[in-house]
Amino acid sequence: MNYVYGVLSVQVTASGSKISRVTIGTINDGGNYRSQSIDQMAIPQLEQQALSVQSANIQGVSGASYTSAGFRQSLQSALSKLGL
Amino acid sequence: MGTVVTIDIFGENYHDPLQIARSVDAAEGILREADEVFSTWKPQSPLSRLRRGELTIGEVPTVIADVLDECRIAKRVSRGWFDPWSIPGGVDPTGLVKGWAAQRALDPLRELDLTGVLINAAGDIASFGGPGHGEPFRIGVVCPGDLKRLACVVESPGAVASSGTYERGNHLVNPFTGASISTVSATVTGPELGLADALATALAVAGRVGLEFFSSLKNYEGLVIETTDNVYASEGFPMAETFLSGRPS
Repeated sequence: MNYVYGVLSVQVTASGSKISRVTIGTINDGGNYRSQSIDQMAIPQLEQQALSVQSANIQGVSGASYTSAGFRQSLQSALSKLGL
Repeated sequence: MGTVVTIDIFGENYHDPLQIARSVDAAEGILREADEVFSTWKPQSPLSRLRRGELTIGEVPTVIADVLDECRIAKRVSRGWFDPWSIPGGVDPTGLVKGWAAQRALDPLRELDLTGVLINAAGDIASFGGPGHGEPFRIGVVCPGDLKRLACVVESPGAVASSGTYERGNHLVNPFTGASISTVSATVTGPELGLADALATALAVAGRVGLEFFSSLKNYEGLVIETTDNVYASEGFPMAETFLSGRPS
């Protein structure tokens, strides 16, 4: 529930037939491109998760609040990587 | 500790990337401003100062009074199971404010000619439209026993909020007894994420008896997953698909 937990990072993905599937914004958090650093954490395990979320044909994942660390392991992160 | 908000934009027509970037910046500004005003982690935030009694409600930004009004509604609708006034250390609207902020952050994106936008604020989702014209967003709900799996898929009416003790540890408290509650996952759907967020918190605390909230509340629905075999939902819950062994009852 609590996003009011200090550092907030925002990831943006655009998709559609004419909008290219690119991340169009990363947030500069005190000099650290936090969103970008999350992107770079390409954990092989996520690919497995990505397959499972892809087959479910979903656009988002809802679950109890995660932290930045939790996000990297989350199904939403796997989905974001797919750029669906 | 921090968290991540993802914004997903769906469109069928060409868009000027700069125009999208401007609207996204505005959405992000709304999220950041809410964090500045409502953070209970920042000792100098207006809410923190209000809680310590350093400022009165008349001296803090008016959005705090707006959010507390919404909290009062959520407390009433949830029959007291959502109660920001029961938290030690002063009123804490955190259970509603993240959803409230994500809901507001959609507004600047409505000006673009998009089929839909999803803002996922650490597991609670505000949206309008869908992935294509006339298609609703399909949202997966994480399985409380195994965060790498989906429990089910819902068709979003706009807001989908989930709450449970499984991700951040046991942070939910029964407002009537002060006791921590056992693991249960709750999901609430509805038109507005602020109320849905608060009701998901309340439902996770109340468990299946909390499904009574929805009998008199139009357009909001709830789901409680106690175990993969014990699943309970309000009558109109927009379940699209379930991967659980138990059927909602």
